Amino acid sequence: MASRGGGRGRGRGQLTFNMEAVGIGKGDALPPPTLQPSPLFPPLEFRPVPLPSGEEGEYVLALKQELRGAMRQLPYFIRPAVPKRDVERYSDKYQMSGPLDNAIDWNPDWRRLPRELKIRVRKLQKERTTILLPKRPPKTTEDKEETIQKLETLEKKEEEVTSEEDEEKEEEEEKEEEEEEEYDEEEHEEVKGTSFHTQPPSLPLISSGDLNSVHQGCSLQRVGGPKEIVPSKDSAIPFICP
Amino acid sequence: MEQPRGKTGWTEVTEPGPGRPGFGASDRRPRVAALRLLSTMTQAEIKLCSLLLQEHFGEIVEKIGVHLIRTGSQPLRVIAHDTGTSLDQVKKALCVLIQHNLVIYQVHKRGVVEYEAQCSRVLRMLRYPRYIYTAKTLYSDTGELIVEELLLNGKMTMSAVVKKVADRLTETMEDGKTMDYAEVSNTFVRLADTHFVQRCPFVPATENSDPGPPPPAPTLVINEKDMYLVPKLSLIGKGKRRRSSDEDATGEPKAKRPKHTADNKEPIPDDGIYWQANLDRFHQHFRDQGIVSAVANRMDQTSSEIVRTMLRMSEITTPSNAPFTQPLSSNEIFRSLPVGYNISKQVLDQYLTLLADDPLEFVGKSGDSGGGMYVINLHKALGSLATATLESVVQERFGSRCARIFRLVLQKKHLEQKQVEDFAMIPAKEAKDMLYKMLSENFISLQEIPKTPDHAPSRTFYLYTVNILSAARMLLHRCYKSIANLIERRQFETKENKRLLEKSQRVEAIIASMQATGAEEAQLQEIEEMITAPERQQLETLKRNVNKLDASEIQVDETIFLLESYIESTMKRQ
Repeated sequence: MASRGGGRGRGRGQLTFNMEAVGIGKGDALPPPTLQPSPLFPPLEFRPVPLPSGEEGEYVLALKQELRGAMRQLPYFIRPAVPKRDVERYSDKYQMSGPLDNAIDWNPDWRRLPRELKIRVRKLQKERTTILLPKRPPKTTEDKEETIQKLETLEKKEEEVTSEEDEEKEEEEEKEEEEEEEYDEEEHEEVKGTSFHTQPPSLPLISSGDLNSVHQGCSLQRVGGPKEIVPSKDSAIPFICP
Repeated sequence: MEQPRGKTGWTEVTEPGPGRPGFGASDRRPRVAALRLLSTMTQAEIKLCSLLLQEHFGEIVEKIGVHLIRTGSQPLRVIAHDTGTSLDQVKKALCVLIQHNLVIYQVHKRGVVEYEAQCSRVLRMLRYPRYIYTAKTLYSDTGELIVEELLLNGKMTMSAVVKKVADRLTETMEDGKTMDYAEVSNTFVRLADTHFVQRCPFVPATENSDPGPPPPAPTLVINEKDMYLVPKLSLIGKGKRRRSSDEDATGEPKAKRPKHTADNKEPIPDDGIYWQANLDRFHQHFRDQGIVSAVANRMDQTSSEIVRTMLRMSEITTPSNAPFTQPLSSNEIFRSLPVGYNISKQVLDQYLTLLADDPLEFVGKSGDSGGGMYVINLHKALGSLATATLESVVQERFGSRCARIFRLVLQKKHLEQKQVEDFAMIPAKEAKDMLYKMLSENFISLQEIPKTPDHAPSRTFYLYTVNILSAARMLLHRCYKSIANLIERRQFETKENKRLLEKSQRVEAIIASMQATGAEEAQLQEIEEMITAPERQQLETLKRNVNKLDASEIQVDETIFLLESYIESTMKRQ
């Protein structure tokens, strides 16, 4: 009732405070009303001050970028596992994502943590000794050493689950090394052809996961004997007869 | 367990009454939030934390971390339920977060363990390069690597740190040279003595007289005097290179392997004693650096050296959040001056008097015994630094005339519109315009002083004033937003050029491998040309932009440090 009609009564258009007190005198031109939100990138009136350069600045900058890269490679960086798709795709091999099983790659001190948090720790296989192939005289174990040498810069992880679905996804660094490996391989195929020796009875266990990841994508657990050689994509490894 | 800094209010919560049946995951409802006053985290801070966690630890850890920051303390199953992630993934993420001191846990009644995130600690991740660089300036490369390993891994035992750092240093040395463990240990001990690294709270050794089942989570304790106590270790050894470059590795892998496994079975002498980087000590160092450089800018080199000496003398005696240092007599200062400085006692006294009379009040005189007792007013110094930051921001954003008005209002505390125009000697229209611009951005505020009890606007004074604390908070909030924007932009730029980056990385890898196997110059040329000239240009631009964005982040973080220190120091005094 009394207020119906929307403010058409007396005193319409009067403000509650005295305009002069805040400095807007009578008859002063007011700035135009704002009818839209302020622009996303308003034009800067003044150029920003240049960034600090010089030795210290550059060192800290390089350090920062290096730290960022380093943290991605540490085991604390947990990659979400890519959900399995119905068909295996070519790009799966080159996508970085975490392993599907629920183990962590580092070993925390479980005595300091609540018991409910305890999870399986994936066992790390020790780094292999690497032998520089061209410099060594040929030996009986040459063939295996060649295959070992192919894996020399890859980090070895032994899968505990032996299902075929379990794909080991390489990280990008290792993907580069894969590229290197493939080139190395091409060159060494010739070398291999010339030196062909008989197989000694026992073989060190090479995780075929690593071998395969260089060539294909699926893993086959290698159990003992020399018969289960996985054929390579590019060329056949000379068959090692027992 | 240390209380998280900045946490306000009570955390008393109404527990579900005894009549409630059990507590499976389905029974858990969010606690009565009304009674819980969470440490107030703004949206900008949460966003920044999310970006940092994602960049450094991946998406899963980010999801869990942000959820904990938003909702406060929660048990494991509730986290899994609310975020929709599997229990195993949550466990993985929590392990990582606890390892890096970003999340703490507490055992509540009925054996429920609750996890709480420390938002301010997450924001410290921005400052890691600065900590590492500081360690480098103070303790050279060895110190740098020790702090880096501690920061990257959260916490480590001393033996693990020493071994890793020795290996890393050996890699960089010339062939044949190795880094001795003893040298690294020495640097570690020095870092502990000057409090740059400290021990983590540890599991107290309990006798087995406790009849009940073991608690669901250990309660970690540490007391003040144990924090910097280095265990007596005899670490003997040298750093090892990675085998691939070591030509002595003639290899029967079979022979080496049993020995290697035997090494791992040896008991670690300092098992259970973990060390972490002491960020507060680094902050104290940064604060001192800021004060010294401020004095150097305002006065001269000698005064700054005197102030630096005074700060150094009070490093261990004054707690880091004290408003001023312990009083130091002029005689003591004279004796402690660095060796190269040979100024006479009278000159020192003159400098001290000058410093004490300076209106900025960095140094104050607290007595006359011993040739004059002087203190450094830490709180006032931080206030001056924060004010200087505000002035500088106003100047760079709005121009020097605005800055003049701002400084004027700062100095006179409260001014009317007319007085501003008169004192600043700026025409009325422009002065008005500038005041309103600053008002709209909350650098300046209006204070009402009513003449009559009914607060009638026509009979009220409106005075412009600068409230430093609230302006500092506002600026801090803007800084958080800025860094979040910078990080997002950098990620965007990198993503846009992802294909090109991958291509260039592949090419580099190919070139490196070809060089290793001795390819000819012509072949290398050919491979290099796989990247065309416009692509090279694009890469150059990308690199320049990313560098600029990174450098900006570092710069903004320095401002954040100053403002946070000031706000913290002010809150402590209230």
